[in-house]
Amino acid sequence: MTEHVLTYMTFFPLAGMIAVLLLPSSKPNLIRWTSVVFTIPPLLLGIWLYRAFDPNNPGLQFTEQVPWIPTYNIQYFIGVDGISISMVLLTALLSFICIFASWGIEKGVKGYFALFLLLDTGMMGVFVALDFFLFYIFWELMLLPMYFLIGIWGGPRREYAAIKFFLYTLFGSVLMLLAILALYFTSDPHTFDMTVLIKQGASYSTTPLGIWPFDSLHLRWGFQHIVWLALFVGFAIKIPAFPFHTWLPDAHVEAPTAISVILAGILLKMGTYGILRINYPMLPQATADLAYVFLGALGTWNIIYGALCAMAQKDFKKLVAYSSVSHMGYVMLGMASFTPQGINGALLQMFNHGTITGMLFLMVGVIYDRAHHRDIEGFGGLAAVMPVYTGISALAIFASMGLPGLSGFISEVLVLLGTWQKYPVLTVFAATGVILTAGYLLWTVQRVYLGMTNEKYKLMPEINTRELFTMIPLGIIVIIVGVYPTVVLDLLRASLTQLNQVIIPHLG
Amino acid sequence: MSDPFFPVLVLFAFAAVVVLALLFIAQTVGPKRMTAVKADPFESGNPPQGDARIRFPVHFYLVAMLFLIFDLEVVFLYPWAVSFRRLGVFGLVEMGIFLLIVVIGFIYAWKKGALDLD
Amino acid sequence: MAADYVALLPAAQMLVAAIVVLVLDLFTPADEKGVLVWTSLAGLALSAWVALRFRGAEGAFGNTLLLDGFAVFFILVFAVVAALTILMSVQYVRESGIREGEFYVLILLSAVGMIIMASANDLILFFIGLETMSIAVYVLAGMWRSRAESAESAMKYFLIGAFATGFFLYGIALIYGATGSTHLDRIAEALGGPQAALLLTAGVFLVLVGLAFKVAAAPFHFWVPDVYDGAPTPVTAFMAVAVKAAAFAGWARIFLHQWEPLRDEWTPAVKALAILTMTLGNVLAVTQSSVKRMLAYSSIAHAGYLMIALVAGGEVGAQALLFYVVSYAAMTLGAFAVVAALKADDREGAAYADFAGLGYRKPFLAMAMSLFMLSLAGFPPLAGFTGKFYLFRAAVAAGHTDLAVIGVLNSLVSVFYYLRVILMMYMQEGGVEAKSFRGAPYLYAAVGFTAVATVYLGILPTGALYASLGAIASLR
Repeated sequence: MTEHVLTYMTFFPLAGMIAVLLLPSSKPNLIRWTSVVFTIPPLLLGIWLYRAFDPNNPGLQFTEQVPWIPTYNIQYFIGVDGISISMVLLTALLSFICIFASWGIEKGVKGYFALFLLLDTGMMGVFVALDFFLFYIFWELMLLPMYFLIGIWGGPRREYAAIKFFLYTLFGSVLMLLAILALYFTSDPHTFDMTVLIKQGASYSTTPLGIWPFDSLHLRWGFQHIVWLALFVGFAIKIPAFPFHTWLPDAHVEAPTAISVILAGILLKMGTYGILRINYPMLPQATADLAYVFLGALGTWNIIYGALCAMAQKDFKKLVAYSSVSHMGYVMLGMASFTPQGINGALLQMFNHGTITGMLFLMVGVIYDRAHHRDIEGFGGLAAVMPVYTGISALAIFASMGLPGLSGFISEVLVLLGTWQKYPVLTVFAATGVILTAGYLLWTVQRVYLGMTNEKYKLMPEINTRELFTMIPLGIIVIIVGVYPTVVLDLLRASLTQLNQVIIPHLG
Repeated sequence: MSDPFFPVLVLFAFAAVVVLALLFIAQTVGPKRMTAVKADPFESGNPPQGDARIRFPVHFYLVAMLFLIFDLEVVFLYPWAVSFRRLGVFGLVEMGIFLLIVVIGFIYAWKKGALDLD
Repeated sequence: MAADYVALLPAAQMLVAAIVVLVLDLFTPADEKGVLVWTSLAGLALSAWVALRFRGAEGAFGNTLLLDGFAVFFILVFAVVAALTILMSVQYVRESGIREGEFYVLILLSAVGMIIMASANDLILFFIGLETMSIAVYVLAGMWRSRAESAESAMKYFLIGAFATGFFLYGIALIYGATGSTHLDRIAEALGGPQAALLLTAGVFLVLVGLAFKVAAAPFHFWVPDVYDGAPTPVTAFMAVAVKAAAFAGWARIFLHQWEPLRDEWTPAVKALAILTMTLGNVLAVTQSSVKRMLAYSSIAHAGYLMIALVAGGEVGAQALLFYVVSYAAMTLGAFAVVAALKADDREGAAYADFAGLGYRKPFLAMAMSLFMLSLAGFPPLAGFTGKFYLFRAAVAAGHTDLAVIGVLNSLVSVFYYLRVILMMYMQEGGVEAKSFRGAPYLYAAVGFTAVATVYLGILPTGALYASLGAIASLR
C-alpha cells in the first residue's frame, strides 16, 4: 500500500473516469456522486501522505521505478519531495472541491465528469512524474480534457478561448519536447530519468555556440542556455509570464467556475513547478545566468502589469484572472532571488495562490450563477442581501490582498524579504504591486458588496450549503497557513535548501 | 568519362536535339496554307461519309476482351507442350493449376452472363 | 524440391482465398453475401497464420522471394489492414450498389501483390507485386460506378500509376545495365566492385521516383486529393494505409538494407522529399473543407514523417519506420472508418459540416474520431505520439536534427486542422443528419479495434517495438 500510494493517488481518478463512462447518462446524480467517491481516496491518501512525509529528508520519497519502454530507457518513475508535495496535496484537495463546484453542470454531465477526472489524473501525474517522458505525457494529457472542458461547457466565446489556450500551450509543449530530446541525447547512456539528468546537470556545456541572434546579446549563450530558454518558454506560457499571458483572461472568462479554479489553482503552478523541478537543478549555470532577467525582472513586470490590468477590468472574473497574473509574478520573483526566504516564499506563494484564487473564482461563480453576468458595476450592496457570502468573500479578497494573519501575507513578505537582499530595485517595484493589489481589490469590494443595493438583486438567495462547502475548507487553510505557516513551510524547506545549494556556486 | 554507357547518353541527347530541331524547322520554315480539303478528315482517299464516332454495342468489347484473355492464356500451352517431356510430372501439375485458374475465370465469365449472346 | 516453395505459401494462400471468394460469390444469393465477408476474413487469417508458421523458411526461386521476419511483419500488417478494410466496407458497399463479391476479391488480390512486394528480393518480382496490387486498387477506386467522382478517381489513379510504373521499370532497366542483375543480392554484391556509376545512380533515382509516386511524396503527390476523394471511402483507407505500407516495405528493404552503400547518393534527395512532403501536406490540409480531402493531405504529410525514418536509416530508423507504419495504419484506418460511417445515400458525408454535432448524435463514433485525430496530431499518450517520438528520436540520433525540428513544427501546424474536426463534432450544433448505418456491427468493430490499437500502441509500445526490432534483425 504505502509504496504505491502515489500511483493510487494518480490513477484513482482515471478509474473513476472509466466508471463514469460506464454509467447511464440518464442518471446525472449517480454520475456526480461517483465522481465524488473517486476523488475521496486521493484526498485521504494525501492527508496520509502529509503525515508520513519526512520533512527533514531533502531527497525523493515514496518513489516507484518500473521500466516501461526499456528499448528507449523510458521508465515509470514517480515520487515526491519537498518541491512537489504541497502541489500534490493542493491537487487532491482542489479536485475534490471542484467536483462539488461542478454540481450545477446540466449539459452532458457524463462527459464533463469523465473529462474532469481525466484532468485530475493528468495534473497529479505532472507533479509526481520523475521521468521526463512520463512528465511530458502527463503534461499533454492534461491539456486535452482542459480543451474540451472549456470548449464545450464554457461561455459564449468558448471555442476561441479553448483553441487559443490549446495552441499556446501546445507551442510551449513542443519547445519543451525539443529540449527534452536535446537533454536525452546529451546524456550518456541516453535516459529520461530526471534524477540522473540532474546529476549530470552541472556538466552541460555552456560554451558559447555563436548562434545569431543569441551571440549578439551581452551573455555568451551556450547549449545549456538555449535548452533553458526552450524549457522556460514552455513553462512561462503556463505561468503565464508576461508576453505569453494573453490566453489566460480568455480561458478564465469562458471556462465554467470549477474549471477556472483548477486552471488558476493548479495549472498555473505547473509552470513555476517545472522551472523549479527541471530548469533549476538540471541547468544550474544557465539558471544562475538567466534568472535575473527572465524570472526576476519579468516577474516584477508581471506583478505590476497584472495589477494594472486587473484594475481596468469591468468583468469580475477577468479581474480575478489578471490578479493571478500579478500573483504568479511573486512566485517568479521569489524563485529568482536564490535566498532561502525568497525561494521558500515562492513555493509557499504557489500553494497559497492555489487556495486563495480558488476561493476567488468560487466566489465569482456564486454570483454568476444567480445573476448570470459578471459586470462589477452591475452589482452593489450585496452585503445587505447576502451577509454570509460577503463574509467569506471578504476573507478571500483580504487573503489575496496580503492582509497579515492570512496566508497571502506570509508568502508575499517572504518573497520580498528574500529579493530585497539580492535585487533591491526590483523589490521596490514589486512592493508597489502590493499597493496596486490593495487598490483594485478594495475598489471591487466597494463596488460589489458595499454601497446601495441594486434593486434587481434585492431577493438574491444567500449562498447555499454546497457552495459554502466548497469555500470553507479553503478558507480554513488560508487562516491556518496565515497564522502558522510552518505547516506548509516545513514540508518544503529541506528540498529547497538543497536545490538552492546547487545553484549558488554558479552565481557570478 | 570512362563510363561505358556514356555514348548512350550522347545518343539520347542527339535524339532529343534532332526531334526538337525537326519540329522547330517544320513549324517556322514550312508554308502554311490551309484549305477546306486539307482540313478534311482523311478516309482512304474517298470523300468522308458520316460521323467518325460510331457506337458499338458494349458486348462487342466484352467478347473481344474475353477472346484476348483466353487466347493469350492458351498461348502458354505451346511452350509447355514443346518441353513437356523435360518438365515431367511437375510441369503437368503446374499446367493443371494454371488451367484450373483459367477455367475458374471462364466459369466466372459464364455465370456473370458475359457469354450470353442475345 | 517442395521446400523451395514454402516462402510462396502466404501469397499463394491469399490467392486461393481470393479465388474461393470469387467462386463462392457466384453461387450465393444476394441476401446471403455475409458469408463472403467471413470467408475473406478466414482467408486473411489463414495467410497470417501461414506466414507466422513458416517464418524464416528458405527463400523461393533462388532466393528471390523471402519469408524472413521483415516480410512476415508486413504480411501481418497487410492481413490486418485488409481485414479492417473489409469490415468497414460491408455496409458501405451494400448501400452504394458496389458489387460485394468482386470488392472483397479485389482487396484480397491486391493483398497478394503487397505480400509479394514485402517478400521480393528481386526487382522484377517486386515489380510484379507492385502491378498486381496496383491494378486491383485501380479497379477498387472506380467501383462506385454510379458516382462520377469514383470513375474520375480510378482513371486518374490508373494513368498516374502507369506513369509511375514507367519510371520504376526504366530504373530497373538501368540498374540491370549497370550491375548485370535484378536480384537484390547480386546488385548489392556488384555495388562493391567496379560499376557504371552514372547509370546506376540514374537507375536508383528512377526507382526512387517510382516509389515516391506510390507513397504520394511531394512533388509526386498531386494525384492524391482527387483520387482519395473520389474513391469509395474504405478503398481510400486501403490506399492510404496498405498501399503506402507496401511501398514503404519495398523502400525499406531495397534502400535501407540492400542499397545501404549508396546512402550518400540518395539521402539528400529523400531528405528534401521528406521536408517538402511534410510541409506541403500539412499546409494544404489546413485549407480543405472536406474531412476526406483533409485526410488525403494528412496522409501525404504522414508519408513525409515516414521518410524521416528512411533518412535517419540504420537499425533505429528502420525500427521507427516499422513502428510508425503500424501506428499510422491504426489511426488512419480508424479515421476513414468514421468518415465511411457518415456516408449519406447518394454522397459522401465527408464535409466538415457533416461532422457538426456528431458528439451528440453518435457519441461513440465522435469519441473514436477524436482519438484518431489527436493521435494523428501526435498527442501523447496515443500511438501517433509514440511513433513520431521514435521517428524524431531516430532523426536526431542520426544527426538530422533539422529534420526533427521541421517535423515537430509540422505537427504543430497539423494540430490546427485535426482539432477542427473535434471542434465541429463537439462545439457546433446541428449539422446534416447523415444517415448512419443502422446496426453496422462490422463497421463499429473496425472503429473499436483501431481505437483500442491507437491507445494500446501509445501506452504499451514495447510489444510492437520488439516485433519491429525482430523484423529488422532478420534482414541481416
